[in-house]
Amino acid sequence: MDNTFGLEIYASDKLFYSGRARSLVIPVEDGQKAFLAHHANTISAIVPGEMRYQDPEGNWTTVAVSSGFVEMINNRAKLFCLTVERPEEIDVRRAQEALERAEEQLRQKQSIQEYHRNQMALARAMTRLRVTKNL
Amino acid sequence: MASAREIQSRIRSVKDTMKITNAMYMISSSKMKKAKKVLEDTEPYFYNMQAAIARILRHVPDLQHPFFSVRHLVPREDRKIGTIVVTGDKGMAGAYNHNITKMTDEFMEGPGHHKLYVLGVVGRQYYSRKKADVDGSFRYTVQKPTMHRARVISDEIVRAFLERELDEIHIIYTQMQNAAVMEPVNMQLLPLKKANFTPSQIPMGTLQEEIEMFPSADAVLDTIIPNYLTGVIYGCLVEAYASENNARMTAMQSSTDSAKKMLADLSIQYNRARQAAITQEITEVISGAKAQKRK
Repeated sequence: MDNTFGLEIYASDKLFYSGRARSLVIPVEDGQKAFLAHHANTISAIVPGEMRYQDPEGNWTTVAVSSGFVEMINNRAKLFCLTVERPEEIDVRRAQEALERAEEQLRQKQSIQEYHRNQMALARAMTRLRVTKNL
Repeated sequence: MASAREIQSRIRSVKDTMKITNAMYMISSSKMKKAKKVLEDTEPYFYNMQAAIARILRHVPDLQHPFFSVRHLVPREDRKIGTIVVTGDKGMAGAYNHNITKMTDEFMEGPGHHKLYVLGVVGRQYYSRKKADVDGSFRYTVQKPTMHRARVISDEIVRAFLERELDEIHIIYTQMQNAAVMEPVNMQLLPLKKANFTPSQIPMGTLQEEIEMFPSADAVLDTIIPNYLTGVIYGCLVEAYASENNARMTAMQSSTDSAKKMLADLSIQYNRARQAAITQEITEVISGAKAQKRK
């Protein structure tokens, strides 16, 4: 039996990847979740974090994603995220600045909404920095 | 008839204006090309996302989720309706801004309490003069729509909706059907209508497969729907931006054309005036000479 599945990764501004994949590891609320071929039909929410997938040749690609979701149905996975970025596309300095800005704002008294927004910004910035670390 | 000098200065001023309209035409055409490219890039994401949400809703038919609640208990007169209005930052775009404000005015005459979220300087000035209830939180231009702005807007409206500050949310923007036809559209963002996602006919005998939602159906929808809204708003902003530049392009092209026509008319007038002056001078010289001869 073939051990690959169809994978399509959509970012809001482009079709990021379309083809076969052996494995897909996504960040979820309580850690990470891996998909292999013939996974049960699932729809899963994605939180900002580091995502990996393995193409049929066995090469791993690591990218930074923001929130979104993935649907795995009939051995075809479709993944939707607002942003999907390769490590080399990330502007480290900007991410660092965003991180500091978010941390600074989290220290201040603010509404719950602002708190959530800054927390999300912090998560995105931290992911971007983590992904670029082993570049 | 105006003197040759007057006509000449008029020609000069028309020429200067034409230079400006021509430059604006070229600027907006290049901007529109860019906007169209962005629009094309985002399209696969939207269509596939819409299909994915449709699939989820098909599999979970009796879903109860706040984003889908129509709030029947609130009577029509008391509904608080929030509307995002996308206008341009400046005029000189034909009827682009006018169409949007006209549609919004008509919509605001309907029942309910209306609150506006106006994007773009033209609309903001128009509605602050009219003393409409305008929310001041989005104070940026509509030039260069970005994901970040769409996210800020959707965060705000989702919050307002969930905290029951608003019962309905609409967006009024200009849709570009093709290069010549642009139409203002009023689209309801929240509450989501299930009918929009479910295809009218599901083929008989389609098996309803079991789909597991992780962590839970509610949690999945909690992330998907705001994401979807962000995407829709971003798409609307990009489309409005492309329409604005398209409208400006057409307006500037027609004004350049009419400037050219005016120049042609004026140069005929100028030639006539010049010819008349020459004829008059000659007549004067000849009659002068004749008068001298007679002496």
